[in-house]
Amino acid sequence: MKTYRRLAWEDVTVPTELTEVVDTVDYQRVVMNPGATWDYFPGHFDPEYAQRHGHPTIFVNTMHIAGFVDRIATDWSGPYSRVVRRKVSLLGSFYAGDSMVGRGRVVDKRLETSGENPRHLVDLEIAVFNQREELCCPAELTIELSP
Amino acid sequence: MSEGIRYEFAFGTYDDALRMVGVRTAPRYAGTAVSGARIQHFASMVRDPNPSYWDADFARQAWGGLIAPPALLMGWVIPPPWLPSDEPPTPSIAIRVPLPGTTFINASNDVEFPTTILEGDRLHVIEEVVSVSPEKKTRLGTGHFVETCDEFHRADGTLVAINRNTLFRFTPAVQP
Repeated sequence: MKTYRRLAWEDVTVPTELTEVVDTVDYQRVVMNPGATWDYFPGHFDPEYAQRHGHPTIFVNTMHIAGFVDRIATDWSGPYSRVVRRKVSLLGSFYAGDSMVGRGRVVDKRLETSGENPRHLVDLEIAVFNQREELCCPAELTIELSP
Repeated sequence: MSEGIRYEFAFGTYDDALRMVGVRTAPRYAGTAVSGARIQHFASMVRDPNPSYWDADFARQAWGGLIAPPALLMGWVIPPPWLPSDEPPTPSIAIRVPLPGTTFINASNDVEFPTTILEGDRLHVIEEVVSVSPEKKTRLGTGHFVETCDEFHRADGTLVAINRNTLFRFTPAVQP
């Protein structure tokens, strides 16, 4: 079996800046939204509908943006970690042809002992901008590291 | 045969919408179990190389199976756009709240995952309308914010996710 990097909670430094991730989302990727998520809201595949409702063209859905946020976090924390909480505020849309620019940092780490099993938690703040440096999605994320 | 899913919202007044606040739905079941094909289609869309989605041997050893991407949560209970039945597919309660707005956009989402969702899990959701705001004007148009809270369970009853979502149901400021 292939082996993968394991991030130990003891090795997490607060604060840590995460590597910036840039992802350009073309029409194909936006149209993948309905196919992959079954969210057939027409703003994600019909440019005429989007324009009739005040948008320049089709835009990515919340699941895609959340997935990008999760990817930034677990790219850093590795596959022995999982998302246990994520909060996103959707201030602006990402349209076909836009770039998603994700910048994150570790803001806290906590050992939670209130539950059945202790949990090694790491809190991150991730901000997703478009290519014009407009903040479209600030996010808060908590990752649990497997012991 | 159904005519397919429609995003033709329930229309009504703000007072009509307020009558739905506090309503909890009966469980709404995913038509199919969480599958590796959909996990990997989503991960491909997001370009996420996390082996928990791609490497079945690793995922089995680390988690007990391929993990459902957390961000795909709401997608598991969206019905397919057409079904071979007389009943139209039922969309989320959020767009069944009667209001004047002609379209919507998501405003925020806050979700917790008490445990992992794995390939093979079959989910169901219980939805509740938490609040409907008075009329607001934004740069997009005039409308109402609708907050919902969804509890996702797997077949054995385990609570796997609590999803709070707020969407803006509005009529665009600029008409064609």
